[in-house]
Amino acid sequence: MREFLTGNQTVVRGALRAGCDFFAGYPITPASSILSDFVDAFADGGGRAVQTEDEIAAIGQCIGAAMTGARALTATSGPGMSLYSENIGLAQMGEVPLVIVDCQRMGPATGGATATGEGDVLFARHITSGGYPLPVLAATNAATAYRLTHEAFNIAERLRTPVILLSSKDIALTRQTVDLDEIPLAEKRARTMHGSDGDFHPYRVAELDDVPAFAPIGGPARVRFTGSIHDEEGLLTIDRRKIDRKLRHLDAKIQGARTSLELFDADIDPDAEALVICYGATDGAARDAVDEARSMGRRVSRLTLYSLWPVPGDAVRRAVTSYVRHLIVPELNIGLYVEEIRRVVRHGKISSLTRFDGGLIAPRTILNAVMEGFCG
Amino acid sequence: MSRAACPESSLLTARRGDMCYCPGCSHAAVLESLGAAMDRMGLRPEEVCIVSDIGCIGTADRYFSCHTFHGLHGRSITYAEGIKRARPGMSVIVLIGDGGCGIGTAHLVHAARRGIGIKILVCNNFNFGMTGGQHSPTTPPEARTATTPGGAVERPFDICQTVIANGAAHAGRFSALDADLSDKIEAALRSPGFALLDIWELCTAYFVPSNKFKPTSFLPLSETFGLPLGLLRDMPTEVASTHQPEPPLTSRPSASPPSIAALAWPGRREICIAGSAGQRIRSAAGVLGEIAVAGGLFAAQLDDFPITVRKGHSVSELIVSDRPIRYSGVDRPDLVLILSDDGARRLGELSSLPAGCRVIADAAVTLPVIKASLQFIDLASLEKSSGRASAALAALCLGVLVQGWLDGPTVESAVGALGGRYVEGNLAAVRAARGCFDETARTQPHAALFPEAAS
Ligand code: SF4
Ligand SMILES: [Mg+2]
Repeated sequence: MREFLTGNQTVVRGALRAGCDFFAGYPITPASSILSDFVDAFADGGGRAVQTEDEIAAIGQCIGAAMTGARALTATSGPGMSLYSENIGLAQMGEVPLVIVDCQRMGPATGGATATGEGDVLFARHITSGGYPLPVLAATNAATAYRLTHEAFNIAERLRTPVILLSSKDIALTRQTVDLDEIPLAEKRARTMHGSDGDFHPYRVAELDDVPAFAPIGGPARVRFTGSIHDEEGLLTIDRRKIDRKLRHLDAKIQGARTSLELFDADIDPDAEALVICYGATDGAARDAVDEARSMGRRVSRLTLYSLWPVPGDAVRRAVTSYVRHLIVPELNIGLYVEEIRRVVRHGKISSLTRFDGGLIAPRTILNAVMEGFCG
Repeated sequence: MSRAACPESSLLTARRGDMCYCPGCSHAAVLESLGAAMDRMGLRPEEVCIVSDIGCIGTADRYFSCHTFHGLHGRSITYAEGIKRARPGMSVIVLIGDGGCGIGTAHLVHAARRGIGIKILVCNNFNFGMTGGQHSPTTPPEARTATTPGGAVERPFDICQTVIANGAAHAGRFSALDADLSDKIEAALRSPGFALLDIWELCTAYFVPSNKFKPTSFLPLSETFGLPLGLLRDMPTEVASTHQPEPPLTSRPSASPPSIAALAWPGRREICIAGSAGQRIRSAAGVLGEIAVAGGLFAAQLDDFPITVRKGHSVSELIVSDRPIRYSGVDRPDLVLILSDDGARRLGELSSLPAGCRVIADAAVTLPVIKASLQFIDLASLEKSSGRASAALAALCLGVLVQGWLDGPTVESAVGALGGRYVEGNLAAVRAARGCFDETARTQPHAALFPEAAS
């Protein structure tokens, strides 16, 4: 059934489909309707929706609930992400499955509450101290917001990690035509649970890139959770070997899943001379521009990135087919992610197309950039 | 009540000498009293979670055999609340210092106010121990600390009164040296609501030597600064329990999907409706978008409004198409409705509108000269027949009829089939639009409809 839904609404629907049963948030434009929709959704007692005193408490309550076994989600915008920062680090260190939706808006600071912007793409990756990786996904419209929210839960559960899903004002609040039943979803994943027998070691892994089995706070196996550097029992440690192992593990479990974390949509012409690489709200314009260029006889490919971190390097390299000599990277910021593309693709011309005045990049702008490449 | 000697079955698994605290530090005494209280209550390890904050007391989690959670500074209260909400049957106990109560004051106040039944034991030693003896929110005036070498000057933070004023069910201020501290803790743990104990301690590494502070200093400190010791709040169980349940949630009914006959639509059409807050611009665009989607078409609606929703402009961009819409920006509108001066100002460069674009404006709006085809309507008279709340939708329907994208009967039956809370007003809008329009208007603007038509 086709519906007329905002990206915020599809985030909630995707989360419910993924079994989300705990939400805590603090009102902020353009994320607020996620909070009110969860209040409505959980009115049947199927979950808890909490409006907290601030964003710090919102993510804090989510982390507490997630460690009792809840599938938790919180949603905010850039200013709230700043307040989430420290707790995102806690969720990394404590290995908490948690989905964080950032409905980006124009920044910095208060910026433009009702103006779009996708300037959090590097911030999301580097949002907390220490430098350890966390998966970051980026929705492009209401339909992918649904699919990627569901996927974010799968990743969070499978890897016991916080996952950030980026949306933005023009995705969050734009009503679009979607048929959720038609959107293919991966099979729902749950965190690996500690079996009923045998001793429980809260952070024990056999291999560095394994994920420790989970036991809920409140269950029969005693859980020791900590944000301090710890051994496999969850006890503070100063043993360098144990420290090294724990921190390598935090890196390895994400890097080890790298391939499965590459989410993208590739529309590749093997004879393409130009390639548009996009993410977020510019995807629609990129699709229209590529179609238009093709109708004018140009050989063009498009790669839409649904995962931004880890950088889906293989997908990018594969999209740069033999004859591609011009890459166009449109972004609703000062040209942030293009630097990651430059790290992966070391030859050819890479054009950064930017807009950050609150408006969208139009198909014509991308088309012109594509055509320029053919002239020059 | 004597302190527990840490029997095998105790939730407290460490003896005083094995704890990491400085000799004479009161933290050990508090942990022993907590262990004794829990043991006496017969609490089983799986039904208790100790949430430890940051600072020396933050290391306490490791000394307990129950579930433990050690998080960030001042935020222990938030984790505890999340755990308690998800597992209401658990005893969730926060161990926090005076510093944690400072950085986490917001959580302290609101946890008390919400009344979720977490228990907070404040190990208050009047300074930051772990970081080197700096002053804390509870450092009394004149006290010497690493950051108040000439004596503290700030008023001490009254933690108990703060939570009592905000609805705590149980609150008290005691000394860690009290022989019956475990009884006080047990009473707090048994309260069904939010409970907090402000437990005064000795930090033998810093506050004690810097201030010649002694166990006998508690009483004069209490009297001098009006911080009474003892049980300060104890709601009867029946009252306290009404403070702890989850706030009742009420459901807003969600409409079932409408079924509308398939609509025919001539390709991608971009519409811009510009007016003021209160004119229900976004709702008008939403109604057309919804009937389009229910009628098998595709729609995208992007709204632009200032941060205050009841004042200033309100502009909706709506695309309706017979094909999926990928780019939802409106760059070359086919139809622009200008229903107020706010809207006209927000649209800005009207001169750039393409010649093929039809602009329909309220005659009262001030407009520059434009290339697009411009027609005026009398919004006030449209309002009379549609009702004020539906005038924007009436104008939008009129635009759709004038453009010939849909005919009157089709719009009316679709809006009727859409239903919803505002169906009567929406139908009034369609009828008002139809009243203003007859089929000839498509080729020849109706004189009554466009009294000041620019042509
Ligand atoms: S520094 Fe103070 S609070 Fe910390 S363990 Fe030593 S005496 Fe106790
Ligand atoms: Mg202290």
